[in-house]
Amino acid sequence: MADTDNIAVQCKGVTKTYGSGSTLVHALRGVDLEVRTGELMMLVGPSGSGKTTLISIIAGVLGRDDGECIVFGHDFRHMSHYEKTRYRGQNIGFVFQLFNLIPTLSAAENVAVPLIINGVKRREAIGRACEILSRVGLGDRTYSPPTQLSGGQQQRVAIARALLHNPKLIVCDEPTSALDHETGHKIMELLHDVAVGVDRALIVVTHDARIFEFADRIAKMDDGHILSVENSNYRLTNKKKN
Amino acid sequence: MNFIALKMLVGNRARYLSIVIGLTFASLLITQQSAIFMGLMTRTFGFLTDTALPDIWVMDPKVQYIDDIKPLKETESIRVRSVEGVAWAVPLYKGLLKARLSNGTFQTCNVIGLDDETLIGGPPRMLQGKLSELRRSDAIIVNDIGAAGKLATVLPDGRRVPLKIGDTMELNDHRAVVVGICQVQRTFQSQPVVYTTYSRATVFAPRERKLLSFVAAKAKPGQDFHTLCQRICKTTGLAAYTKDEFKKLTIRYYMKYTGIPVNFGTTVVLGFIVGIAIAGQTFFSFTLDNLRYFGTLKAMGATDRVLLQMILLQAALVGSIGYGLGVGTASALGTLLGRTELSFLLTWQLLLVSASAVMVICAVSAILSMRKVIRLEPAVVFQS
Amino acid sequence: MITKYLLPILAVLGIGFAVFTVIKGSKTIPPALPVVKPAIPPFKSSVAGAGIVEANTENISVGTLIPGVVTEIYVSIGSKVKAHDPLFKLDDRDLWAQLAVRRAALRVAMASVRVAKESLADLKNQFALAESLSDKRAMSIEELDKRRYAALVAEAKLAQVRADVSSSKAQVKETLTNLDRIIVRAPRDGEILQLKIHLGEFAPAGITQTPLVLFGNVKPLNIRVDVDENDAWRVDASAPAVAFLRGNREIKTPLKFVRFEPYVIPKKSLTGDSTERVDTRVLQVIYSIERSDLPIYAGQQMDVFIESSEPIPASGAIPQTKQTETDEVKS
Repeated sequence: MADTDNIAVQCKGVTKTYGSGSTLVHALRGVDLEVRTGELMMLVGPSGSGKTTLISIIAGVLGRDDGECIVFGHDFRHMSHYEKTRYRGQNIGFVFQLFNLIPTLSAAENVAVPLIINGVKRREAIGRACEILSRVGLGDRTYSPPTQLSGGQQQRVAIARALLHNPKLIVCDEPTSALDHETGHKIMELLHDVAVGVDRALIVVTHDARIFEFADRIAKMDDGHILSVENSNYRLTNKKKN
Repeated sequence: MNFIALKMLVGNRARYLSIVIGLTFASLLITQQSAIFMGLMTRTFGFLTDTALPDIWVMDPKVQYIDDIKPLKETESIRVRSVEGVAWAVPLYKGLLKARLSNGTFQTCNVIGLDDETLIGGPPRMLQGKLSELRRSDAIIVNDIGAAGKLATVLPDGRRVPLKIGDTMELNDHRAVVVGICQVQRTFQSQPVVYTTYSRATVFAPRERKLLSFVAAKAKPGQDFHTLCQRICKTTGLAAYTKDEFKKLTIRYYMKYTGIPVNFGTTVVLGFIVGIAIAGQTFFSFTLDNLRYFGTLKAMGATDRVLLQMILLQAALVGSIGYGLGVGTASALGTLLGRTELSFLLTWQLLLVSASAVMVICAVSAILSMRKVIRLEPAVVFQS
Repeated sequence: MITKYLLPILAVLGIGFAVFTVIKGSKTIPPALPVVKPAIPPFKSSVAGAGIVEANTENISVGTLIPGVVTEIYVSIGSKVKAHDPLFKLDDRDLWAQLAVRRAALRVAMASVRVAKESLADLKNQFALAESLSDKRAMSIEELDKRRYAALVAEAKLAQVRADVSSSKAQVKETLTNLDRIIVRAPRDGEILQLKIHLGEFAPAGITQTPLVLFGNVKPLNIRVDVDENDAWRVDASAPAVAFLRGNREIKTPLKFVRFEPYVIPKKSLTGDSTERVDTRVLQVIYSIERSDLPIYAGQQMDVFIESSEPIPASGAIPQTKQTETDEVKS
């Protein structure tokens, strides 16, 4: 990997423990991982294998104990709490398992939240949110509150939210596990269609084997270690389809 | 971010309403009870409010409050008049005398005797008749509430015929003729108020060596009231208070020697506790409900300051709405009951007091909630 | 939508109403103005006193020495009289009757004198005749002595009867004096201030509760000012003084000092109860009212201010003592 220009995330020997004494849990025992821009990296493995801990550290919402983790040339360890938060707000998009849409806001407003956090005026932010909602096929539901949307629609809103401020890195935590197979599949297609770009890296945590096919590379984890990183051929087949 | 905060709050209708209702009740209880307390306290010195003309009240040094009459020598009013800086000084009689009503029952009246010549200290508002008619023989002026209430003639069928001009009554076995009806502040003990001249009051009053209750004095223009009071004090050996000092003295007495402040204070504290318990607690659980979303916002880059602003804004919103509804309801209740025996006096200080009470409630709830949000690790968003 | 806008609107209305209530409640009712403006001392520092207007002769309660029913009144209220002008007369019928009796007695006495004179002349004549008899034996010595003594007795009788006459004369004069005394006369020039006796009323002798006739000279009027004994030391005879008429402060008059009443008297209180214990005494200062053109009447009350150059003890005495203290420390 001599070409550092297209490296989004580089982790070396990252360790993380929770608790202390007899309740000490080793979540990560020295993880090395490299994510390139333009690729969709999938983290798979059984529960408790450390997937969530790893993406939490990569996304800057959790500190690491040891090792090195550089995201687009930045080491969170050398940033203040405030800088970290602002960095997240500008450069990282999040998609959650349970969508985490604010129930009292409309779809468009939910999508607009990251822009508003970054100081964009409300009206402009909502305008841009509406545009991106039509891109994810929800142009007619912009004013619906999340409670009136189906699970798939909610996750589309969440993807729109993660994309709106054009982050360099999108972190998805089990994006399909709350959805049925067909919807999950559609969501992954959508994510792949709208999110993957040349300058952007996606990390998707999942243990849903049915969506492995959407990955460019799959990192298998267990017990705090990366077991293997494999290439997947989805993109090739997809490109063939097109 | 502000509209997000507001929508989060207002959208959660059940929580929002219960916080607002809690704060409304708290501010209603605090405002209304303290307004009644204030009303009651101003009634204690209602006579001073009515008799606004004199600047300085001179009395026996042992007088503790306004109804604590310790009579003075007649010549004291002339002595006060001799003090440098005093424009005028008039004698005033104030005392409780028994009136015999036409049906034979007795009623204690608050009799006020004004300086015969000037009639200084008369009632501020005459409804019927004129103050100068007190110069007629046996003349008295009765307050409207007393005339229509305790001094009214009760007919056999139970109807009350109010006392009117020309009616006579007996004051301590002396004939008295009503020549006017006036309106004055309600008295603390709700007795009818009877105005007459000083010398007539001394005739009505039981024989005593001294009868002068107060000397009411006016300062010459440009005099400092406090220096003048001290000068009167030193020259005559009597106590001299400015009107406000005398009011304070009276209130202090009631505060110290009656259970009234404790009684109302308890209710106010109760209102405060109800506010904390209902509104504060609900607000806190509202934050707990939304902790997940606060975490999401935190992960998505909202700084602690922004989140605190959101919570403060939410607290301020429910605070102001609850406060507005509370004081509005309290004022409405006060206005509705204003014509009855209930005393109700809303002052701007009270509005501030209840505002700060609501603010404290909101601040406490907000601080609890903010602690929770500040301590929140954004990593929780990944824990399902 | 309802909760979104209704509650804030209600809240704003509530605050507005509360503010309105506050403003309404804080509105103070203007105090009742005095019916008559009180007198304001015209001096920087002054002693105040209550004054009562009186005649410059003081008010004289005219009484009668002899009790009796009034039959004639010569004056009416306000009459101006000269000294010794009659004021009223008591019933005099008994005195006239007495006079007639006494005059008759005088006449009787005078008649008796003539009888006694004649009788004396007769007896003297008889005695002289007997004494001139040349023959002493013609009359016994005893007879002669009898005649002598008879003449002497007649002489004494004449003296007695003459004394009776003077006595009767004196009695007539007494009655005449009494007749004069039942006419009560003005003691000096003045004016009738009060007339409490009427035709047919009984006027008792001695001091009466209400004077039968109140009399005095009201030109110029005097004013008797009561000054509390505590302030008495501040009154200076030469200080200017002003009296204000009660009921109209515009009517005021400068006063001229007449005299102090040297005896400080107890203050009469309005209760007028005689069993009252007196705790205040007042110095009375008499002033003369300089303006005679004002509608001021005897018996009226006035508020008097006497200028006092003396500093109020509160502001003057205390620093002085401090001064002496520091002086002592210095020395």
